[in-house]
Amino acid sequence: MGGVDVGEGGGGGRRATNADINMIPFIDLLMVTISFLLITAVWVTFSRMNANAQIPGPPNPDKEVEPQTPEKILHLHIHESNFNLVWKQGSTVVSESTVGKPQGDVIYSELAKKLGEEWKVHGGHQDKSDKKIDQAVLHADNRMPFKEVISVLDALYDTQRDMAFPDGSTKKVPVFNMTFSVR
Amino acid sequence: MSGVGATRQHKHNDPHAHVIHQPGRRLMHAVPLHFVWRKVAGHGNRGVNANLNLTAFIDFLITIVVFLLMSFSASGEIGVDKNIVLPQAENVESVIEAPMVAVNGNQVLVDGQLAGSVRAIEDMGRMQKIDELFDLLKRKRELWKSFHPNKPFPGVAILQVDENVPSLVVKSVFQTAAYAGYPNISFMVKKRGKPTG
Repeated sequence: MGGVDVGEGGGGGRRATNADINMIPFIDLLMVTISFLLITAVWVTFSRMNANAQIPGPPNPDKEVEPQTPEKILHLHIHESNFNLVWKQGSTVVSESTVGKPQGDVIYSELAKKLGEEWKVHGGHQDKSDKKIDQAVLHADNRMPFKEVISVLDALYDTQRDMAFPDGSTKKVPVFNMTFSVR
Repeated sequence: MSGVGATRQHKHNDPHAHVIHQPGRRLMHAVPLHFVWRKVAGHGNRGVNANLNLTAFIDFLITIVVFLLMSFSASGEIGVDKNIVLPQAENVESVIEAPMVAVNGNQVLVDGQLAGSVRAIEDMGRMQKIDELFDLLKRKRELWKSFHPNKPFPGVAILQVDENVPSLVVKSVFQTAAYAGYPNISFMVKKRGKPTG
């Protein structure tokens, strides 16, 4: 039992100053709290991965449209045995490279590394103050299981950069934003 | 109270004389059993009554309570279809509140409501707009706009897709959601820890 000892006391017919605190209700309360938290705990946490369908907004009739140079876009083709990385500016191919696909593995670390290197060379939005993100178009076979698509997406989002926000804070964001090829 | 003395003759007028009588000899009386007495009373040796120090135990319980309270999260409460096995990924973000489109091996569901057949898309063999899904999502968007007339529509939907669903179905659902005004799609995944080293 817990006790409070404030030295000698209780002399001269007065009540003793040493007292025992009954700890059993306190332990019971702790046990009940632990049981409740263990029962209601969620052991599997779900998360999300972003993608964008790249649908242009309606044109502004008051604003004059200025011709813009098309941005470089990464086209990632998923084949049976390899990944093909093609950087295109409009219809012009800027760069092309191939990365081997490990068989039976769902973590594509080699692809993630290569994508990071490619972005450092060709990525158009590398500055901290740049709010835009480079686009990646995923060309996946129709029969490919979704888990493989997610593994490629995971590799695509592995490289991250700092992005400054108006409130002065800086946050790590993936360097690519993915969309599916519609063809 | 039957004992050796019970058979003795008592020559007085006590009405309980046949019941109450002088204790006589007891079996094992000569055995002193001092060690038992010492053990129980704690005289000389350690007694059987001991005080447990509960401080360490209470500290341990409080630590567990604090840990569980800190790790308590309501984000995992999001319902996931029992027939869906979600894929795993490392580079993820926390889940936000948005319409849930679940795609299991057979059906497409929007917040638990049937919105299409996976088999029909697979049989068609090409990407297509799923009309029921489009209608349901469009209705949800209009409802949101009527509740928030002055806010821009975020256009975010979350797809819960089984890991073995072919990408043709995923692309069809993705494209249909975009047509219905949800271009910002998130895929729900199970978070995988980053490998160390």
